[in-house]
Amino acid sequence: MRDSARMWRIIKALALTAFVVFVSLPLVQMTMISFVATLAHPDAPLGAFTLRNYSAILDDPNLRSAFANSIAYVLINICVTVPVAIPAAYAFSRLSFVGDKHLFLAFIAFRITPPVVLTLPIFQLFSTLGIVNSVFGIALAHCLFNLPISIWILQGFISAVPKEMDETAFLDGYSRRQFIWKILLPQIAPGIAVTAFFCFMFSWVEVVFARILTTTNGKPISMALNALFGFQTDIGLVMAVTVASMLPGAALLFAMRSHLSRGFKIGRV
Amino acid sequence: MKDRDNTGWIFVLPAVLVLGLVGLIPLMTVVNYSFFEIFILDARFWVGFEWYEGIITSGHFWASFGRSALFSMLILTIQIPLGIAIALCIPQRKTWVGISLAVVALPLLVPWNMIPSLWLALMNPDTGILGRVLGGLGWPVDWKLSIPHTWAVVIAMDVWHWTSLVVILCYSALTTIPPSHYQAAAIDGAGPWQVFRHIQLPQLYHVLLMAVLLRFMDSFMIYTEAFPINAGGPDGATMFLAVDLGEEIKAFNYGPSAARSVIYFLIVLTVAYSFSKAQSKLSDRQTS
Repeated sequence: MRDSARMWRIIKALALTAFVVFVSLPLVQMTMISFVATLAHPDAPLGAFTLRNYSAILDDPNLRSAFANSIAYVLINICVTVPVAIPAAYAFSRLSFVGDKHLFLAFIAFRITPPVVLTLPIFQLFSTLGIVNSVFGIALAHCLFNLPISIWILQGFISAVPKEMDETAFLDGYSRRQFIWKILLPQIAPGIAVTAFFCFMFSWVEVVFARILTTTNGKPISMALNALFGFQTDIGLVMAVTVASMLPGAALLFAMRSHLSRGFKIGRV
Repeated sequence: MKDRDNTGWIFVLPAVLVLGLVGLIPLMTVVNYSFFEIFILDARFWVGFEWYEGIITSGHFWASFGRSALFSMLILTIQIPLGIAIALCIPQRKTWVGISLAVVALPLLVPWNMIPSLWLALMNPDTGILGRVLGGLGWPVDWKLSIPHTWAVVIAMDVWHWTSLVVILCYSALTTIPPSHYQAAAIDGAGPWQVFRHIQLPQLYHVLLMAVLLRFMDSFMIYTEAFPINAGGPDGATMFLAVDLGEEIKAFNYGPSAARSVIYFLIVLTVAYSFSKAQSKLSDRQTS
């Protein structure tokens, strides 16, 4: 019995290691290329080790503003998505109203609608509203997929809060608004963090809306990367920008690791 | 028991408004366009269902449909079991969990348009790690001309990119199993398979349903990642549904691309409907 338990532990460790290696391979390749001079420069011969690619990011105003734009639109998106998702998640978790099932279905349908289906009308609508070529346009467009998924995640967290808490609070004379602010929100704080992280993750890397909504201005990192491809692509620089673009997410991931590892109750309706 | 009253609508109203603006209004616009021949947006002619007929009766559409369906099936059969397996392998000891999860999640943070570039760099026969290893083993990768190779690259890329999401979702569901369940199973002398089948898997159902939904739809409509590998080739073998639509839009065929969008949205609705059916069935079974 003890032997077989040990064997299972070893098998599990090996499988996990194999998967981590598989996941790391492209990332290792990317990092390696990012430290190589892939176009000849006076101070770095072709193929030599160099930090030039990284210093080029800091020197290029387009790339600098791309990072600022990406951070701006993701933050705006989170600031819109989370406050809108919390009451909706509360309603789906705790209340029963006419059409609730259908409404949830409609939300899920919008989450799985491929962005390319809606690119053209969203571009037209946002041009009319005057939010094309700005970070606001992208932030709003990304609500299409972030809002439904946020509602789904938050609903799981709210459902994990025992119902007795609501009842006690109402008996104690709390109004529903006070209950949500003073009791529910502190309870689901980790859930809000997880939700914001998921919003960041899906929004930071999206390219279809980001491309059509930023033709002249407000380009995020992904589009700045696209612009680097050309007749003579400096692939080392491209990889360096990609590595840099992953750093904020990796930092967040590291900060969030205890929330993620403690696990969260999701998907209960 | 939930209280039945309609104050719930007040709480969902903001979400309805936002999704109405970025979802419903654009969708209605597309439905409207799909019935017209449009040269410029101010001059259009009613054509009825002509675009729809053209798409539904074209062999090209069904070929793309078949390719996307096959691709999704392959992706699901690889990613879902693999995701569950890896989630089960993540140790329960504290310090390692966070780090393994963080590493596993890294592919989700790569900008989507860079994913093909990463894989092409990896497969490069002269400079790429994988390209050189495979070449050394006598299996040169020929993703430009060989259909199975192109497919293998696109599938490996998608598995690399998205299995992590399944792992994270499954792992978080597994952590909600109380330790007492495992202790009870140990007392009964249950083996690893029985523990999985009767304790871990039931806890995963809800999350798996969502994972299957997300992975099915996103791979069925794969767009950004698939095209740059081989421009839909060789010989159109990786022209998926969303890639077709992208090409129509790039050619400014407003009417046909709108009709195509509506057809895709109908597919989305069908899938979402079966998802909600499955979900309510699952809830019924677990409460009864």
